[in-house]
Amino acid sequence: MVSMKIEFKSIIPDPLKDNEQTKHSVWGSDYKWESPQKVVLNAVSGKGKSTFIGLLSGVRTDFEGELIINDINTKQFSNKDWTELRVNSISTVYQDLQLFSGLTILENLQVKNNLTHHFTEEKLVQLIDKVGLTEHISKKCKLLSLGQQQRVAILRALCQPFKALLMDEPFSHLDTANEAIIVEILKTELDKNQAGLIITTLGDKPAINFNNEIVI
Amino acid sequence: MKSLLKNILFHSKSNTQVVLSTIGAFIGMLALLFSVLLLNDIESFQNSDDDLLSSNSVIIQKRVTRFTTIGLNSTEFTNEEIEELKQKEFIEKVAAFQSASYGVGISEYPNDGLPSFYADLFFQSIPDEFIDVETNWNWNEDSEFVPIILPRDFLMLINYGIAESQGMPQISEDLLAVARLKIHMNGKTKRGKITGKVVGFSQKISSVLVPESFLNYSNNLYGSTNVKLPQRLFLKVKKGSFGQLEALMDDMNLDIKKSALDLSKIKTFVNVIILVFLIFAILIILLSILGFVQYIQLLLNKAKQDIIILNRIGYKFETLLKVMLNHFSKVFIVISIIASVTVLSVKFLVINPLLQKNGIEVANNQIGLCLIVAITCVIGFVLLNYQSVKLTLKKINN
Repeated sequence: MVSMKIEFKSIIPDPLKDNEQTKHSVWGSDYKWESPQKVVLNAVSGKGKSTFIGLLSGVRTDFEGELIINDINTKQFSNKDWTELRVNSISTVYQDLQLFSGLTILENLQVKNNLTHHFTEEKLVQLIDKVGLTEHISKKCKLLSLGQQQRVAILRALCQPFKALLMDEPFSHLDTANEAIIVEILKTELDKNQAGLIITTLGDKPAINFNNEIVI
Repeated sequence: MKSLLKNILFHSKSNTQVVLSTIGAFIGMLALLFSVLLLNDIESFQNSDDDLLSSNSVIIQKRVTRFTTIGLNSTEFTNEEIEELKQKEFIEKVAAFQSASYGVGISEYPNDGLPSFYADLFFQSIPDEFIDVETNWNWNEDSEFVPIILPRDFLMLINYGIAESQGMPQISEDLLAVARLKIHMNGKTKRGKITGKVVGFSQKISSVLVPESFLNYSNNLYGSTNVKLPQRLFLKVKKGSFGQLEALMDDMNLDIKKSALDLSKIKTFVNVIILVFLIFAILIILLSILGFVQYIQLLLNKAKQDIIILNRIGYKFETLLKVMLNHFSKVFIVISIIASVTVLSVKFLVINPLLQKNGIEVANNQIGLCLIVAITCVIGFVLLNYQSVKLTLKKINN
């Protein structure tokens, strides 16, 4: 399977322009990532972890420097190009989850899966069951706890083929037992897709064999 | 997939606004289709041959005054006057009535069913294109008879005036149409007889008409050598220019059949009313379409956050645009279909029979025209909404 390449060339996001960057920081330096690498960004708030994920998912374009994905400068990407990537190559779990609050758990997964037809309906129900949300399957997301919503957002991110899984503080509201369940599911799906992982955390790293750590 | 997307995009829909816009569009569509169909009827009525004399054609003559009676002025039109009329911007055609320059009398053919009679008449002719009777209007020296068109009023005068006062039996149109007539041509130096036959009755031309070819032939044989100038003219004027014609009539002291002018005024008035109605209908439709456009923009803006999320999980704006357009286009198509069926039903079941009962022929391209107008409206609606949704989504993306 073709791997995915991401290159940072002297990127400095606009909000961090005035900040002084350390010598090893990814901001202002050159950095390369290739699937199926698994890397973690562990930093305190305000260092640009969400910005990093935002740049890679095409949500943010306010930066200096060059972001190259699969040898193409993303400045040339149209919204259509980004949506192609978001369906086939890059899947993201946003920090603010970005769920549809008026839809149920199953419907939130279906919205994505209907686009990719990645899983069967049965598989979706199995996944919901695996993360312990079966009894809430028909509940609207706005009625769920943050931890439950986080699990839905992670499952939704898996409803597509991907080469890079971007996760912005995905376990911040999960207890260790649920985190372990999710990590197991993640490992399976990463292997299945031969995909890499870029994950941001505030503190403890999840139990995944990371290739390296990004400093910001 | 579409129903989930609709749930997301339409979650903040306001039924009141949709219902109001739908009712507005329906009323506008009804008004538009009705006015277009009625205008089409008027147009077709105006364009029909039957209407030559009433909508844009008139017969004019000079007013007979006391001076005319004592020979101080003439009711003839000079060539200069005819030329002057031709130059008027609102006059499309001018044709002169030719008259026989010999005395004409008609009498019955024995055994053809007509009572014995003799009547002095006059013959005139006008170019064929102005004749409002469909008939074989050719004559040459080998023809079996001379075709004659009588004014319908003439027959009425005979049946309800002369016949009654002189104790003659009344004559039906059918009988007059099959019976032969003896035409007596009494020139100053020469007299002759020929067979004639009534081939039609004109509703509008108050003259006894014979083909131009016969009039030329008979004038050569029996007429005086003096060239007579025409006393009556046939004018074809542009639509809606009867005001100018009336002013010209006053200026030139001309006479015109008042009913022709009145009828044309009524028609112009009806035309104007329907046109105003049409303009209002277009305004209502435009307002209702704007209502829809505004409503769709409101929906999109309310669903802005969800649209951004949809895009972030891989939905193209084009897909969302299609969902919005499909939904509202279907609504507008249904409105157009119901409005078209309603209008055509009312037209065919109520208006057309009413018009036909009153002797008014209706246009025969009504279904096609109705469909064309409705389809044009739907296309306009789709295009307008396409642009509007596209712009709004673009703004959301930025």
